[in-house]
Amino acid sequence: METLLRITNLGRSFGSYSALSEVNLSLGRGEVLGLLGPNGAGKTTCLRLLSGVLAPTTGRIELHGIDLAKYPLKAKRQLGYLPEQPPLYPELRVDEYLKFCAQLHRLPRRQLITAIAEVKQRCGLEDSGQRLIGTLSKGFRQRLGIAQAIIHRPQLLILDEPTEGLDPLQMRMLRKLIRELARECSIILASHLLPEVQAVCDRVAILYQGRICFNDYLTTDQPIYGWRVRLGDGSTLMQLTALSGITGAVAIGEDRYRVLLDDHVDSAQFAQRVIRAGLQLRELVPERTDLERAFFDLIGVESER
Amino acid sequence: MIDILIRREVRSAFVTSLPWILLTGGQIILAWIFLQVIERFSGLEAAERTVTLTQELTLNVFGFAAILIMFAAPLLAMRLLSSEFQDGRFDLISAAPVRMITVVLGKFIGLLILITPLCLLPLVNVLLLAYSAELDYGQLAAATLGLWLAAALFAAVGLYASSLTAQPGTAVFIALSILLLLSIIGRAEQFTATTLSLFEWLTWNEHLFWFLIGTIRFSDLAYFGFFILFFLLLTQRRLTNRYLQ
Repeated sequence: METLLRITNLGRSFGSYSALSEVNLSLGRGEVLGLLGPNGAGKTTCLRLLSGVLAPTTGRIELHGIDLAKYPLKAKRQLGYLPEQPPLYPELRVDEYLKFCAQLHRLPRRQLITAIAEVKQRCGLEDSGQRLIGTLSKGFRQRLGIAQAIIHRPQLLILDEPTEGLDPLQMRMLRKLIRELARECSIILASHLLPEVQAVCDRVAILYQGRICFNDYLTTDQPIYGWRVRLGDGSTLMQLTALSGITGAVAIGEDRYRVLLDDHVDSAQFAQRVIRAGLQLRELVPERTDLERAFFDLIGVESER
Repeated sequence: MIDILIRREVRSAFVTSLPWILLTGGQIILAWIFLQVIERFSGLEAAERTVTLTQELTLNVFGFAAILIMFAAPLLAMRLLSSEFQDGRFDLISAAPVRMITVVLGKFIGLLILITPLCLLPLVNVLLLAYSAELDYGQLAAATLGLWLAAALFAAVGLYASSLTAQPGTAVFIALSILLLLSIIGRAEQFTATTLSLFEWLTWNEHLFWFLIGTIRFSDLAYFGFFILFFLLLTQRRLTNRYLQ
């Protein structure tokens, strides 16, 4: 896969506080990278550096081999950026705003009308061209924010918490739009929501305290949900597998097991069967997906649970 | 590119109420001063008139218009950068392929276009006398030019103050502080023993005075040109620092 974005040893400090350090990433054409991390992990700083809004303290960002710091105008032409708060002018109409954004990104005059119509159609804003931005709902504002970021057909789209504050239906529509956009450009999406990243991203990088601590592709397999069980002293795997409603069980430690249940058996029924069998049930917790486990393990929450 | 930024600034400003309020309020105050000058002048005997009607009008109406614009410019300037920093809209421009100096010039010229109607208000008032009194049109043109240059200076200061903070109210306060300092600094000379008129030279009203009496001097043009450029460069520097810091 052709590399579109290469980030080398990227770091950013605000005075003595290091917000981001030693970030190394590369992104292929058409890839969707999810930047995951708790609030304050450095996601927004990272995206602001990538969009050229902030200068890095160390390292370099290359877009198609063009250094963003050295040739900002050339590199920024290939970028589309949606900040956490969509940068909208409430006193303008949707069409006026999109025209301004297209001109700002140096779209040729003859392409303006087509580009505005196309982007409105893609973002579901066909009937909102004459509406004042100040009167738009949160969902429409977010769509307009994405529209301004893609109107000039960028090769790299940077989205900071794009579904923040949206209702579940709007979230679903936005995720669908992001997947559609991925056919044309590479996308970096920051979020603190695991399901969102799992739903739309090919790859995930977890940021914690300004550092990348996990960077891998998401498997296309459906996540397997199971249960972690802790029984009383002296229990055996045989005793557990003898219970009905269990499709599989493995030992993961002393008196600890990972169990898969039949579709028709829920955790309450399973717990009753364990107790009836005379096995002491000390713990029964849902098994997380790989990404979720990695996320919590890496940020150190797992040990507290 | 610069014309796109100018058009957006002007369009955005004129759909809000602030420029219209300033224009209406300005006209009411200037009309009142204009009538006061006419009444006082027409009450004098010919022998008592030490200056011409045009001079009376330029010194009073144009002079007061400068004070009005000094307060109006920071109010119009605060939304150009401060408000954009506050609600994150400036990111749109920062992430676009536009040079920072283009942004500064676009915003400055947009602000100047917004202020220009205020600069023309005194002239419009005075021209009401065109058929009933003898006016010195050369002097009126010089006074209008002087007022417009002073307004450009106020706009440059307002824009710079707007670039310093994400709080629009604070930006207005900073701009007014700088402008008031530049208004009264000439008086500092009274308290010093030196004959050097540097403080007097720094005061904008001293330079505007020569335009109001119909004299266009190179030194006054240079003063306004220098300070406008100075504050625009400071603004550009400030925006670049925002990116670096």
